[in-house]
Amino acid sequence: MAVSLRESVQRVSDPRNLDASVEEVFRLMLAIECKRQAGLVVADRESVTAVVGFGGLLSGACVFRSGARTALKIAAQMTGMEFDAIDDTVKDGIGEICNMLAGAWKGKVPELAANCGLSVPAVITGRDYNLHVQAPEFQLHHGYRFGEEIFEVTIVCDGMQ
Amino acid sequence: MNEIRALIVDDSSVMRKIVERALSQAGLDALVVHEAGSGAEGLEVLKTKPVDLILSDINMPTMDGLEFLRQIREQNLAQGVPVIMITTESSEEHVKQAILAGARGYIRKPFTAEQVKERVLPLVRAA
Repeated sequence: MAVSLRESVQRVSDPRNLDASVEEVFRLMLAIECKRQAGLVVADRESVTAVVGFGGLLSGACVFRSGARTALKIAAQMTGMEFDAIDDTVKDGIGEICNMLAGAWKGKVPELAANCGLSVPAVITGRDYNLHVQAPEFQLHHGYRFGEEIFEVTIVCDGMQ
Repeated sequence: MNEIRALIVDDSSVMRKIVERALSQAGLDALVVHEAGSGAEGLEVLKTKPVDLILSDINMPTMDGLEFLRQIREQNLAQGVPVIMITTESSEEHVKQAILAGARGYIRKPFTAEQVKERVLPLVRAA
């Protein structure tokens, strides 16, 4: 029987899955306890955005976005090294965080875990840019905080089988 | 414990460092680590350097981890060397594919150093 997500939209778009995934990845890989907080917006002019695409049963993307300072702190925590600029290692680390977030999120729904592939991460850096997604099927957009640092994670679904 | 020579294959240099750190924390003090950024690079390393343990990601550009495993067997490289997959893909189907391709263990990202220790030490001790 063909697998379909059409009857599981509520389960797939359950916001608790995203919160659990973020908390799990940050706790296990960074030893950081982070919590979702309403109203958080990354307002830094210089920011880092990582995107991992979903393909298969669900198409869309997982997007991680933080200010440059937060990205440096995350990369430092991952590697045990200090960084003072967004270099290739920092971009690589943020891309991996997004990859693990995407994997953990889809792993919460068995049909997705088995039938949805992940792209390799793409990382965007720079100043004063916006991301726009046209008419998604559903979108989860959450802000999280650890210490003084904040970041956003977005799940965009633009199609489901 | 004798010196352990490990090959870590991951397109992320940060993940390679994290895995190396986890191996050190697992008590593998006498550790020599070779790194590769893709399955194709991993094969080249195996042609020139003997290893006791291979840890490989699955999702990689150029040559993914499953094809890397198949090529190891086809080319008769690293015979008897245990391979552990470390990956974000965690479905039963992915695990099955990896085991069929020759993997001896599977670690899902995100992971703890303790999980790496639990999977790696028995294989290294048995080798």
